[in-house]
Amino acid sequence: MTKPYLELQGLSKSYDGRTRALDGVDLTAAKGEFITFLGPSGSGKTTTLMLIAGFEAASAGEILVDGAPITHVPPHKRGIGIVFQNYALFPHRTALGNVMFPLEMRKVPKTQAVEKARAMLALVGLERLAERHPREMSGGQQQRVALARALVFDPALLLLDEPLGALDKNLREQLQIEIKRIQRSLGVTTIFVTHDQSEAMAMSDRIVVFKGGRIQQAGTPLEIYNRPVNDFVARFVGDSNLLPLLLTDPTAGIGEIAGIGPVRVPAQPGRKAGEAATLLLRPEGLGLAGEGAINTCRMQVETVVHYGDSALLVGHAGQTALRARLPGLVAQGITSNMEIVLSWNPASAHLMPAVMRDGFQNS
Amino acid sequence: MSAVPAPARGSLGPWLLLAPLMVFLAVFFVVPLAQVAVMSVSDPEWGLGHYAEIATDGFHLRVLADTFFTALVVSFCCLLLGFPLAYAMAAASPGWAAVMMVVVTMSFWTSFLVRTYAWMVLLGTRGPIARVVEWLGFATPELLFTRFSSTVAMTHILLPYMVLSLYGVLKRIEPSLPRSAASLGATPSSVIRHVVLPLAAPGIVNGLTLVFVLCLGFYVTPILLGSPREQMVAGVIGQQVEEFLAFGEASAMAVVLLASTLVVLGLYHRRFGLDRLWG
Amino acid sequence: MRLALILLGAVVLAFVATPLLIVVPMSFSTAVSLEFPPPGWWTGYYAAYFGDARWTKPTLNSLGIAAAVAVLTVALVTPATFAVVRHRFVGKGLVNLALMLPLAVPHIVMAIGYYAFLADIQLLQTFPGIILAHTALSVPMAFLVLSANLKGFDRGLERAALSLGASPARTFLHVTLPVLWPGFAAAALFAFVQSFDETVVALFISGRDTETLPRKMFDSIRTTADPVIAVVSTLLFFAVAVLVIVPVLWRAASRRRLEPRP
Repeated sequence: MTKPYLELQGLSKSYDGRTRALDGVDLTAAKGEFITFLGPSGSGKTTTLMLIAGFEAASAGEILVDGAPITHVPPHKRGIGIVFQNYALFPHRTALGNVMFPLEMRKVPKTQAVEKARAMLALVGLERLAERHPREMSGGQQQRVALARALVFDPALLLLDEPLGALDKNLREQLQIEIKRIQRSLGVTTIFVTHDQSEAMAMSDRIVVFKGGRIQQAGTPLEIYNRPVNDFVARFVGDSNLLPLLLTDPTAGIGEIAGIGPVRVPAQPGRKAGEAATLLLRPEGLGLAGEGAINTCRMQVETVVHYGDSALLVGHAGQTALRARLPGLVAQGITSNMEIVLSWNPASAHLMPAVMRDGFQNS
Repeated sequence: MSAVPAPARGSLGPWLLLAPLMVFLAVFFVVPLAQVAVMSVSDPEWGLGHYAEIATDGFHLRVLADTFFTALVVSFCCLLLGFPLAYAMAAASPGWAAVMMVVVTMSFWTSFLVRTYAWMVLLGTRGPIARVVEWLGFATPELLFTRFSSTVAMTHILLPYMVLSLYGVLKRIEPSLPRSAASLGATPSSVIRHVVLPLAAPGIVNGLTLVFVLCLGFYVTPILLGSPREQMVAGVIGQQVEEFLAFGEASAMAVVLLASTLVVLGLYHRRFGLDRLWG
Repeated sequence: MRLALILLGAVVLAFVATPLLIVVPMSFSTAVSLEFPPPGWWTGYYAAYFGDARWTKPTLNSLGIAAAVAVLTVALVTPATFAVVRHRFVGKGLVNLALMLPLAVPHIVMAIGYYAFLADIQLLQTFPGIILAHTALSVPMAFLVLSANLKGFDRGLERAALSLGASPARTFLHVTLPVLWPGFAAAALFAFVQSFDETVVALFISGRDTETLPRKMFDSIRTTADPVIAVVSTLLFFAVAVLVIVPVLWRAASRRRLEPRP
C-alpha cells in the first residue's frame, strides 16, 4: 500500500464528557483519493470533518497529513480547503475577490494572485462572473465559486461538507460530475460528506460509512454495496432483503430460510452446522425462475410499483417479507395477489452475521 | 460554534470586553441615579420626611393617581387606534404596506417636540379644528392646555410604539392559519376573534406595557400643552427643581415614579421575561 | 369586520400623518403666532432661522454633541456586544438586564440625577457633561441594534476565512468588520438621533453656551411660540424623511438590480 497521505488515529470527540460524538475513528487515505463520509445525521461524519479542519479540538487521537501531525495546529495554518454547506462566500467581495482571498492571506503578489484566481474561476467555468457579488449568483454558481476559492491555494486536502444539499436534482448531478472532474485533474485528496447514498456511490473511490460515532465499514462503492459487513450498512446503501438463515451444511454451502426452504449459499468452511446468519439479497438479484433453477421461492405479491424501466414487487414468501425488482418488460403481466416463482444466483447473495430477534446484531 | 475554540469556562475574555462599558455605566448612570435616591432622604435633612409627605399629602397622591390614570387611558387609546392600523399594514399589499410603514416610522423618528408643536397648531384657537367648528356655527373651542390636548398628543406620539409592536406579531402569523380556520367554518370575524387576537396577544401586552411605562414618565408634552392645574408626575418633579430647588422633594417623587415603572416592568418580567419586550 | 378594520386603519394612518405634515406649511406662514391655515406665505422665518445665532448655535451644538455621543457609544458598546453574543459566562443574564436598565428609567429621574452629579464633578453645563450623560442613555438601544446584527452574522464566514489562511485578527479585520458595518452604522445612527432629539436631560444640564437645539425649542414653545419653531420642525421633518425613505428606495432599487442572471 502506498504511503498514506491522510491518517486518522484513534480519533475521539466528546462535547460533554459523557457521550462520545466520535469514538475511536481510524482511517487512512492515499494521495489523490476521493473519499466519501456517508451516514445519517449525528453519525459522526461531520464531527470528523470539523476535527480535520481544526474547528473542533479532538478529545483523543491524532490527525496526520503527509506524515506530519496537525492535531494541534490552529485552523488558519492547516492549509486545508473547505467547501461549506451554505457556501460561506464573503458577501462584500466579488467572485474574483473571494477566490483571491486565500492568496492575499499568503501575501501572493497582486498580479499573480489575480491571474491564479481567474484561472481557477475558468476551471470551474465561471470566468464571466468574476465581477459579480454572491447575491447576484445562483446557488450552483455560488457553489462553484466556493470550490474555486478552496482550491486556488493548492491545499493539502479538500473537504466538502454536504455541499450539494440545497440544490435541485439536476443541478446536483451536474455538479457531482464537475467536482469529480476537477478533483481528478488536480489530484487533490478529497473528503466529501453526505447522507445521500447514491451521491456517495456515484462519486467516490472509497466510501466510509459512519454510525454512532464509529466507522462501520470503509471500502469501494461496490464492496460496500455487494459485501456490507452488517445490516446497518446493507440497509443504508441500496434496497435490501435481509433474510434470517440457518446454516444446515456450512462446508457444502447449504442453508435454510423460513418460508423458502433449503438454499445454496457460498461455502462457509470455518463454520458449524446450526449457526444462524443473515442472507443479504438485493431485490434486483431476484428473477423469474426458469427451467431447473436453483434457489427458488414462491412469492405472494402484495403490491407492484411500475417504474417503467423496472418494477418493484413487494410481498412475502411464507412469513418472510420479500422485495424483488424485475426488468420492466419482464414484469409487465404481474399484478397484486399473484403468486410467482423467483430464483437467484447463489453467488450474487451475501452472507452476513445474524441479526438477533430484538433487532440488534453481533458484529 | 466559535471560529476559534471557545475559551474555557470562567475565563477573563468576556469580562475584559465588558469592562469599559460596565465601568462607564457604573460611573455615569448608576451614580447619578443613586444620588437621586440619596437626595430623597438627605435633602434638606436626613429622614423619610418627603416620602411621608407624599403618602399623606393629597396633592402628591392626586398627581400620581392622575398620571397613572392618564397613562392607562393613553395606553388603551393607542391599542384601539393601533390595532386597526397594524392589521391594515399586515393585510395590505407590499406596496401599500411599505407606504404605511414609512409613515409610521417617520412618526416614530420625529422628535417629541416637533409633534407636540404640531398638536399645538392643530388644537389651537386659530388652528384648523377650531376653524371648522366655528364654520359649523359653534363657539370657538378651547382645546389646548387641557387634559384632553395632552392625552391626544401623547397618544399620537406613543402610537408608533404600539403599532410596531402589533405589526411584528401580526406579520408573523402564518397565512395558512386564518385560512385553515376559514376552511373549518369560521366566519371572518370569528377568525379575527379566535385566531388573530389570541396570536397577537403577546404584541398587545408588549405594546401596552411599553406605552404605559413611557407615558408614566412623560415630561415634554404634558408641560407644553397639558393643563397647568392637572400636572403629571414628571412635570411636578421638574417644577420642584426648577422653580423651588426642592431637590429632596423632587427626588422623592422621582424615586416613587421610578419604583412604579420598575414594578410594572417587574410584573411583565415575571410573567413573560423582559427580553421579550425588546423583541 | 375585516373591511371595517382596514378602513379604520386608514383613518388612523391619516391621524398619524397629519400632524407631521402640518409643520411644513406653517414654516412658510407669515403669521406671528400659531395660525392655520396661514394668512400668507413667505420664507422670512427661514431667513430668520439661518441668520440668527440664537438658533444656529444650539443647532451646531446639538450636531457636535450627537456626533460625539455616536462615536463614544459605539466604541463602548462594540466590545460588550461581542462579549455577550459570543461568550458564555456566569451572570450573562444579569449583564443583559443591566445594559437595558437605562431604558426603564424615566428621563426626568436621570435629569435630576445628572444635575446633581455633574454639578459635583464640575461638568454641569459643559459639553463633556452632556456627551457623557447622553452616551449613558444611548447605550441600551445601540446595544440592542448591534447585538441583533451580530446574532444574525453567519459564523461560517469566519470559519471560511480561517480555513483560507486568515488569522483570527485578520479574519475580524477583513471579514467580520466589513460585513457587520451596517450594524455599526445603525447603532451609531440610533445614538446620534437619540442625543440630537433628547430634551428632558438637556433642559437641566445644558447651559447658555452649551444650549442644545431641543432645549432652545422647548423654551421657545413655552415662552413665545416663536414661528421659527415651525422652520426647525420642518427641517427636522425632512431630515427624518431622508433617513427613513432613502434606505427603502435603496433596498427596492438593489433588489431589482441584483436578481440572479443566467
